[in-house]
Amino acid sequence: MTARARSFGLAALLLLGLSLMGTARPAEAAEDVTLEGIVNNVILGHATDGYYLNFKPFANVELPRIMLVRTADGALGLEAYGSTEAMLRNGPYGVVSHGGDAEGHGGLVTEGEALNEAIAADEHLHSSVQRASGHVVLDLSISRHFVFGLLSMLIVFGVFIVLAQRYRRGVGRTEAPRGVLQNMMEVLVIFIRDEIAKPNIQGEKWRTFLPYLLSAFFFILVANVLGLVPYAGAATSNIAVTGVLAVMTFVIVLLYGSKDHYKELFTGPPDAPLLVRIIFVPIEIVGLVMRHLALAIRLFANMMGGALIIFSLIGLIFIMNILFGEVAAAGTVVISIGFTVFILLLKLLVAFIQAYVFTILSALFIGMAVEEHHHDESSDDGEGARTSGRLEERLDAVEEAVEPSSA
Amino acid sequence: MEAAALAYLAAGLGAGLAAIGAGVGIGWLASSSMDGAARQPEATDDIRNLMIISAALIEGVALFALIICLLLAVTIFL
Repeated sequence: MTARARSFGLAALLLLGLSLMGTARPAEAAEDVTLEGIVNNVILGHATDGYYLNFKPFANVELPRIMLVRTADGALGLEAYGSTEAMLRNGPYGVVSHGGDAEGHGGLVTEGEALNEAIAADEHLHSSVQRASGHVVLDLSISRHFVFGLLSMLIVFGVFIVLAQRYRRGVGRTEAPRGVLQNMMEVLVIFIRDEIAKPNIQGEKWRTFLPYLLSAFFFILVANVLGLVPYAGAATSNIAVTGVLAVMTFVIVLLYGSKDHYKELFTGPPDAPLLVRIIFVPIEIVGLVMRHLALAIRLFANMMGGALIIFSLIGLIFIMNILFGEVAAAGTVVISIGFTVFILLLKLLVAFIQAYVFTILSALFIGMAVEEHHHDESSDDGEGARTSGRLEERLDAVEEAVEPSSA
Repeated sequence: MEAAALAYLAAGLGAGLAAIGAGVGIGWLASSSMDGAARQPEATDDIRNLMIISAALIEGVALFALIICLLLAVTIFL
C-alpha cells in the first residue's frame, strides 16, 4: 500500500515537473531564452523583491506604485499609480532598457511602440524604472515582501487576538485549553517563556521583554512559513524587514541597558590595565553594532539562500534545455525535482530554526545588556557558594556514573 | 581575462572558501557537542541549545561571505 502511494507521489512529482517545463517554455520564449535572461529575470526576479504578485500561469497582478518625487522645477510631490504599467503609460516615467548604455540615461524607454514592446515582454517588472524629468526622492511603492509581511502580521494578530479573548474568558487559565490552535500556541508560548526568556534574562526582568520576544518569534515564523506557500514569498528574505527587526532589538538593548553594561562598554572590563582598556573599548562598541547587524544578515541570508537554491535547481532544467537540448532537460527534471523537495523540507526546518535563533539571540543580547552585577559582597558570596555547591553536586553525580561501586 | 569573468571567478572561489570555513567550524562544533552529549546524556538538552546558538553564530560569518559572493556575481547584470 505504501509502495503504491510512494510511486503515485513520485509520478505526480515528475508530471508536475514536466508540465512546468511544457507550460513555461512558450511563455518564456520571448524574454528569457538566454542564460542571462533566466538568471536575471526568472531566478532573481522571483527570489528578490518586486512590484508584482506572480500567479503564473493565471495572472500577474501588479501592485500600486507610490513615489515621492522632486520635479524638474524643484517642487516635492507625491504621485500614486495603480500599477507599474499605468505609471509608465500615464506618468513621466520610463523603463531603463538593457539595450541602452550602462548608465541608464541613454536607453530610457518612455513612450511609443518601444514601451508597448517592453511591457509585453514584462521588461517593466524586471528592469528599473526612472523618472524622465526630475528624480525620485523616495520610492514608497507597495512591494511583494511588504504585502506578505503585512499578511503575516495580520495572521499573527488574528490568531493571538482570538486566543487572548479565550484566555480572558478563562479557557486555559481555570480549565484546560481547548482545540488544536490553543494547545499548539500555548506550547510554543511556554517554550519561549521557559527556554528562551527565563534562562537568558536575569531575574524577573524577562517579564518586560517576553512580549517583544513572542511578537518577533511569531512574526518571523509566520513570515518564514509563508515563503513555502506556492505563489507567496517570505517577507524575511528582504534585508529591510530583517534590518528593522534587528534595529528593534538594538533599540531595546540601548534603552534598557543597565548602568553596569554601559560602564563596561565605555570603560572596558573592571580591574583591567589602561592599555587593555584602550584596546577593548572600540572592540566592544564595534562588537555591539556588529552583533545586531549579523542578526539581520543571518535571517535574511538564510531565507534568501533557500529561495535562490530552489529557483536555481528549477532553473537548471531550462539552462540544460538551452545548453544540451530537450533530452538532457528531461533527465534533469528528475534530479531537480528530487533536490527541490529535499531543499523544501530543509527550508521548513530552517523556518523554525531561524525564528528560534533570532529570538534566542535577541534574548541573549537583551539579557547581556540588562544584567546588573552584584556589588553587594554578601549576595556575591551567596551566588558563588550556590554555584560551587551545584558544581560539587554535579561532580558527585559524574563520579557516581563513572564508578558506581565506589559509593 | 575580462572583468566579468574575474568577478565570477572571485564569487565562486569566495563561496567555496566560505563553505569550507563554515563546514570545518560547524563540524568541529557538532563533534564536540556529540562527545559532550555522549559523556553526559542528561545534559543533552542544554548542549543542544548551546549548539544551535553557536552554529547560528558561525553560520552568520559564513553568510556574510555568501552575501558578498552573491553581490559579486549579481552586479554583473545590473
